[in-house]
Amino acid sequence: MIMYFKIAKYFLFLSILFTSCDKIITLPVEANEQKIVIEANITDQPGPYLVKLTKSVGISEANVYPFIDNALVIIADNLGNKDTLINTNGGIYKTRSLLGIYGRTYFLEVKVNGNTYTAQSTMPNKVNLDNLRVNTFPINGETRYNIIPVYQDPIALGNSYRFIQKINDTIDNNYNIFNDNLNNGKINQRPLNNRNEDLTVKLNDSVAVEMQCISPSAYTYFYTLTQQSGAGPGGGTVPSNPPNNITGGALGLFSTHTTQTKAIKILGN
Amino acid sequence: MYRKAILLLFFGMLGAAQLIQAQDNTTVNGTVKDKLTGETIIGAVIKIEQLPNVVVTSNEYGFYAISLPKGKYDFKISFVGFEEKRIAVDLNGPLNLPVFLESKNQLAEVVVESKRKDDNLIKAQVGTETLNMKSISKVPVIFGEKDVLKTIQLLPGVKSAGEGNSGFYVRGGAADQNLILLDEAPVYNASHLLGFFSTFNSDAIKDATIIKGNAPAQYGGRLSSVLDVKMKEGNNKNYTVNGGLGLISSRLSIEGPIQEDKSSFIISGRRTYADVILKATEKFKDNILYFYDLNAKANYKINDKNRIYFSGYFGKDELGLGSSFGINWGNKTGTVRWNRIINNKLFLNTSFIYSDYSYNVGLKNGETNFNVNSNIKDVNLKQDYTFYLNPKNTIRYGFNSILHTITPSVFSGTVNNNINKVGRNGLENAIYFNNNYKANQKLTLDYGLRVSAYSLMGGDVYNIYKENSITESIALKKNEFGKTYINLEPRFTSNYRINDVSSIKLAYARNVQHLHLLSNATAASPSDQWIGNSYNIKPELADQASIGFARNFKDNTYELGAELYYKFMQNQLDYKDGANIITIADVESALLYGVGRAYGFELLAKKKFGLLSGWISYTLSKTERKINGINGGNWYNAKQDRTHDISIVTILELNQKWTLSGVFVYNTGDAVTFPTGKYNIGNQTIFQYASRNTNRMPNYHRLDVSVTYENKTKKKNVGSWNFSLYNVYGRENAYRIAFQDDPLDNTKTQIVRTALFKWVPSVTYNFKF
Repeated sequence: MIMYFKIAKYFLFLSILFTSCDKIITLPVEANEQKIVIEANITDQPGPYLVKLTKSVGISEANVYPFIDNALVIIADNLGNKDTLINTNGGIYKTRSLLGIYGRTYFLEVKVNGNTYTAQSTMPNKVNLDNLRVNTFPINGETRYNIIPVYQDPIALGNSYRFIQKINDTIDNNYNIFNDNLNNGKINQRPLNNRNEDLTVKLNDSVAVEMQCISPSAYTYFYTLTQQSGAGPGGGTVPSNPPNNITGGALGLFSTHTTQTKAIKILGN
Repeated sequence: MYRKAILLLFFGMLGAAQLIQAQDNTTVNGTVKDKLTGETIIGAVIKIEQLPNVVVTSNEYGFYAISLPKGKYDFKISFVGFEEKRIAVDLNGPLNLPVFLESKNQLAEVVVESKRKDDNLIKAQVGTETLNMKSISKVPVIFGEKDVLKTIQLLPGVKSAGEGNSGFYVRGGAADQNLILLDEAPVYNASHLLGFFSTFNSDAIKDATIIKGNAPAQYGGRLSSVLDVKMKEGNNKNYTVNGGLGLISSRLSIEGPIQEDKSSFIISGRRTYADVILKATEKFKDNILYFYDLNAKANYKINDKNRIYFSGYFGKDELGLGSSFGINWGNKTGTVRWNRIINNKLFLNTSFIYSDYSYNVGLKNGETNFNVNSNIKDVNLKQDYTFYLNPKNTIRYGFNSILHTITPSVFSGTVNNNINKVGRNGLENAIYFNNNYKANQKLTLDYGLRVSAYSLMGGDVYNIYKENSITESIALKKNEFGKTYINLEPRFTSNYRINDVSSIKLAYARNVQHLHLLSNATAASPSDQWIGNSYNIKPELADQASIGFARNFKDNTYELGAELYYKFMQNQLDYKDGANIITIADVESALLYGVGRAYGFELLAKKKFGLLSGWISYTLSKTERKINGINGGNWYNAKQDRTHDISIVTILELNQKWTLSGVFVYNTGDAVTFPTGKYNIGNQTIFQYASRNTNRMPNYHRLDVSVTYENKTKKKNVGSWNFSLYNVYGRENAYRIAFQDDPLDNTKTQIVRTALFKWVPSVTYNFKF
């Protein structure tokens, strides 16, 4: 919603009243403190689950992230199951036997170069993605489309969701992050945002939507990212590293989430 | 704190001692008016030839009173832009002496003006400037729309919130820490079109005064400044029509007498018409984009002792995309004031004020439709007494009670809040006392005390948080009172005239703010959310000390002012990263608290008269915040921390018809946070940040020029053309700097600078008949 607000403002104001101009610039390079980055996911689907360990790089360097191959990675759950992950190459560590089960809490421990990083996350219960609905609305003589994921939010408060939209096999890299601060316990009414003007949903497109039920800490993590991306008029907070659930000063996120995908084709009336 | 209160009491008693001495006196009082229009004159200076010690100025309603021993006197009444008037008075008893001043047929007067040529040297006011609407018209502004908020940003210590933005920061304070009053009614969002215009239609405005933190005790409620905007009363002699046609908007106002000399009115309206043009295009025909506003005021003189004023403002912005999306916001204010001369020495003004600000966002596509509404409403009663005790002491005292109703972000339609949000009420009360004491020809003191109280009121549940979890929930019943915060706000300013041409000033003030704006946005946004004090949110406090020096040169033609200030702010608010303050059930669960400090040096050099007039203002300052939970609890630069800030304004009166003017501004870029590094999560680049606000936007500078051609055909009918060019040399000032993956080579990060405008030309035709 807020995103909508910002885009609309940006779109209306900048494109109509005057032409703004964009220019690629360079800024003085600043020292960056290289940090360990942990990307760990456990889903409700059969494993193995992956933990990826890399390091951050300076802003002016290439997007090539050094991986960490000398770590000890252990994931345990609250029932006492413990899994020491297999170090495959390229900073990827795989679980052997761990199962992603609703309601279980998982404990991640990463030991590298004498430092220990820990995180914990609970697998939320699955909320079923019942259907995808296509919403149409006219703007300036054009018909626009967006997708409403249909699901019944449970009565209990505290559900968070992430949706990943794929339009004709191209992943829309917008963060669509919902929670039940609004419309708790109701059937979802909110459409997925389509902020990317180069990747809009058009007639005859195939759209696949992956729904993830995520933990509250994952919600905060992704929501912070959405807030930082829109630094236009009236929007954009002061950026910072999003709060995460990992102790020890590592970047990244330990996410336990469900996953379910449905697809739809956009047809005319 | 108590020591200060005792000190004040002591000064108060000094005043009382003088009361006893002054028994053989009689009084002269009256109202100072413009002879041509009947408009009252605020701040006219009344002097007496025989008593060089006595200097009295007319108040907000043009009223003045002086106590004098019986005898013969020569009164001299003056005001900038008017001929000085001399009146011989033989005083045997109380005398009512109305004064009518005739306006000079004069050349340029500088925009920032004094009431008297050497006014800056005699008043015990620090950090105060008054803008006169008549002269603002010559200063170039964006879109050719003369605007009081844009012009005050050219003064030292006042900083613009961004390119073309009417939001402003005063001495390191936040945008919500300015008390913006329109005929005493608070205006909660003073911007139109996301800040490119202000809500103040210059045709309806008489003058505007900004006080940068050291306000007398009758003002209160905000930490950083008071911007007191007064609407015109309307000509009570003749009907006049004023207007302007611009590229973006047009204005029209009508004023005139209802009953000659007894009552008058003014109605002034303004509307933009970009939407009319948009409608005609195929591509943008569904875009909605406009604002309008309406000012109206009327006054009625019941008899010589009683006068009543009604003033109102109504403004609205609409932004939208057909029926699918819409935002609208607007202010409504209304003031009823009753001036009463109780006796020769005592003047009373009673005001009843209403103010309402609301914003709505509506989204409708297919079956999904919802609306978000936020609202803040004030009902306000104020009584302000001015007691003209004797020529040396003028005492002001009174009270102010405001009932606030604040309703944040209520969803309706197919998307709803989980728990119905109800408005919170708060009762803000204040009593105050202020004495202006002219000790002798050299020393003037202005001291006072304001006691403010804020009581939480029932109807809602207040949660108390301790380290992120609720420790207690307090449900107050309707009309039940919860916690009351009481704060003492001592104020003190002084002026010592060293010699004929220079003076020094010293001031201290504590200001308290009970309403807080939650905003992390880069510009004033209508979605910004207000919240009152609660069990967690304590009143914001600011202590400001300033010292100033003023010197005039060449028979007061040049004026130089320098001020140094230090301000410390407590109970400042911010919110946690990742908090969604619009949808969150209780926004208090996401708040963070801390302190702020600001200090700086301000310089203002003016040339006040002559063919070439104008001013140069320079500010050197530092503004920081320290909030628990942000930047590791360490001090960091506030966004508006701009080390250097320079404005140069020049107005050149070529002849009676042509005026040239120019504005040059330069300031250090805003303090911002750029990423230092990056990493990858889920195949997306995520930026890594270090400390907050250690980077800088590029320095901002710009030159604007304007030419005004005035054709005075007959005495009454005046037409004028104004051509202006904003950003003459096309500087691409950075509006934002974004980091993103290079679309051509996604192994690289590219930095994109967006500039809003290169040149903005505009033409406005103004008329008066």
